[in-house]
Amino acid sequence: MDIQNNEESINDALFYRDVNYIIYIPENYRQNFLDGKNPKIEIKSTGDYQASLAEMMLERYIKVANIYQKNIKLENELISKINETLSKQTDIEITSKLDTNNLSKATFYYNFASYSILAGAVYLICLVISSFNEEKIKKRTIISNMNYRKHSKQLLLSNGVLSITLWLLYVILSFILIGKTMFTIHGIILMINSLVFSICALTIAFLIANLVNNKNAINGIVNVVALGSSFLCGAFVPIEWLPDSVLKVAHILPTYWYIQNNEIVKTLETINFETLKPIIINMGVIFVFSIIFVILTNIILKKKNDCNRGIRRIVRISKGTNMV
Amino acid sequence: MFIHNFKYSFKTLFKNKMLIFWTFAFPIILGTFFNLAFSNIENSEKLDIINIAIIENEEFKNNEIYIKSFKELSDEKNENRLFSVQYTTEEAAKELLQNNKIIGYMILEEKPKVVVKESGINETIFKYVTEEITQTTDIINNIAKEEIKKEMSTGNYSIDYEKIYKSVLEIIQNQEVNIQNISNNNLSYTMIEFYTLIAMACLYGGILGMVTINQNLANMSNNGKRVSIAPTSKGIVILSSVLASYIAQLIGLTLLFIYTIFVLKVDYGTNLPLIILLGIVGSLAGLSMGIAIATLLKTNENVKTGIVISVTMLGCFLSGMMGITMKYIIDKNMPIINKINPASMITDGFYSLYYYDTLDRFYFNIASLLVFAFIMIVIAFLSLRRQKYDSI
Repeated sequence: MDIQNNEESINDALFYRDVNYIIYIPENYRQNFLDGKNPKIEIKSTGDYQASLAEMMLERYIKVANIYQKNIKLENELISKINETLSKQTDIEITSKLDTNNLSKATFYYNFASYSILAGAVYLICLVISSFNEEKIKKRTIISNMNYRKHSKQLLLSNGVLSITLWLLYVILSFILIGKTMFTIHGIILMINSLVFSICALTIAFLIANLVNNKNAINGIVNVVALGSSFLCGAFVPIEWLPDSVLKVAHILPTYWYIQNNEIVKTLETINFETLKPIIINMGVIFVFSIIFVILTNIILKKKNDCNRGIRRIVRISKGTNMV
Repeated sequence: MFIHNFKYSFKTLFKNKMLIFWTFAFPIILGTFFNLAFSNIENSEKLDIINIAIIENEEFKNNEIYIKSFKELSDEKNENRLFSVQYTTEEAAKELLQNNKIIGYMILEEKPKVVVKESGINETIFKYVTEEITQTTDIINNIAKEEIKKEMSTGNYSIDYEKIYKSVLEIIQNQEVNIQNISNNNLSYTMIEFYTLIAMACLYGGILGMVTINQNLANMSNNGKRVSIAPTSKGIVILSSVLASYIAQLIGLTLLFIYTIFVLKVDYGTNLPLIILLGIVGSLAGLSMGIAIATLLKTNENVKTGIVISVTMLGCFLSGMMGITMKYIIDKNMPIINKINPASMITDGFYSLYYYDTLDRFYFNIASLLVFAFIMIVIAFLSLRRQKYDSI
């Protein structure tokens, strides 16, 4: 690794896992070693996978060298003998034909996108709807000619277009960043999955927008909802690293099912109905979540609507009196 | 007047729900998320027992070294146990591999062959161990040959092969590798996340400073208009409001510290007075930044809040909140950015307390924060004094 040779840079590099294993070879090591003194080597290690592997390699080399050193005194001969032994390698056969590297990249991107999609959708839609919900504007809408139903339908449609646009944006970005993996069936499944999730995000956004009327509060809610579900469901941190208890709680969030699907896609080797079944089931779960959110939104809207109907009646009566 | 204004500034701050959310609740919520997500990362990076299979063919049954080695490496009593081994047929092993019950299996022919599903760290270790066994065999053969040659050259033809073999094996087993681990124990890099969280809380305190300043600016609030025409010293009014927000900020920070230390078990190192010092200085930097933004910009409060939040988030991003390596990348390649970034100074201060034994780096960060705060206060001071409005 390319690190400045001072203790502080070395320590920083170790802490941030730029390097995992540092070997300090003491002065006169070569001579002491050739004299058979088995000199001490100091190391610094992060104690993780890579460091363990590095330590094993170092130990093996020193072991082999020490053993041969007892019989062979010439340095060149010793080195060639060590290399000869260490060159005896095991054949390895890898059965999986998946392009795991690129697929992991794609999965990581789409996992991360769950945050951007959710945060983006909730933020934008809440802003739009809260503008419509502002008291003066709302009153004007209520007394206008436009049918109340038509008005909400148009609002839903426009926000739907908004979230689809958002989704398209992320898909296009994924093509740019990941490239050809996105043109495979795996890529298509990832895209469909994120579309289903975008629809769910739309319904969540609608629910929140109708719950909260305060524009200032939106910022906070977006952050808590989006960051919370991303952290709990493994959008930022790989899902296998999350504690089990967290994952159990995560089941109640749609993001969990979305990310589960991405993870399944990563290991999908053959594609047929049997292997696609869990993916379809997970999408179904996300869909059920969306329906629940829609129902909740409707209940809230209905309650608000009852109030509005009162206002409208008053407006109508006052209009009537004016005409008289 | 000082105490009167101080009291009411303090009360107004705590009545503002948005403010309390961002400065008090949000860091705690975020910290909880961090804890949930990161608590397991470092444990899962340590080596687990690896599930493997070995094909039990004639070749394997006749190879004592392999049998013994794998037996020892999968012995449950062994502290350095690496594997959990199943001895089966090739078909069964393929099935196990397909169902992800094992990460790979080994067939011993002339050379050992390892079959794995994908490439990864466990697979590498498996391959590595089989190699080590082959190489040990090679060493034994080499040295034994050497020994036999020696014996022969001395004219001794009644060679005790068994004895030579045993002595060689002994040499190999008694080889000790002289390695000493001198690395620091405090290597938990997820701590950085929590340090950036503290940095974030310190800088969000700027919102508090901003709000109180807005209360005193004639172009920001009706309250400000009244304050401006009141026959009291502006210096005293502003100083007391700022002090009120500083204390409110320190209360929030204390809560966050208590929460992270006792509930989330964050390790800040052992030097408590210096930790408190860093918290106080960091808050001052955040506060002065908020005041400077409040006085410099002539927009409404929401835009100002937005600016404080985005500056803070950018600073935290650069100091590693969204990915710990970010801080390292910046430190290594563009150190100047993190030298002027207050979030990074605070994070780096905690990091140096946690990881380094010497305090040079810590004091450098404290000094940078003080300089930063001083510059911000000077800016605020210059733009606050002698303010006049043609129209409001």
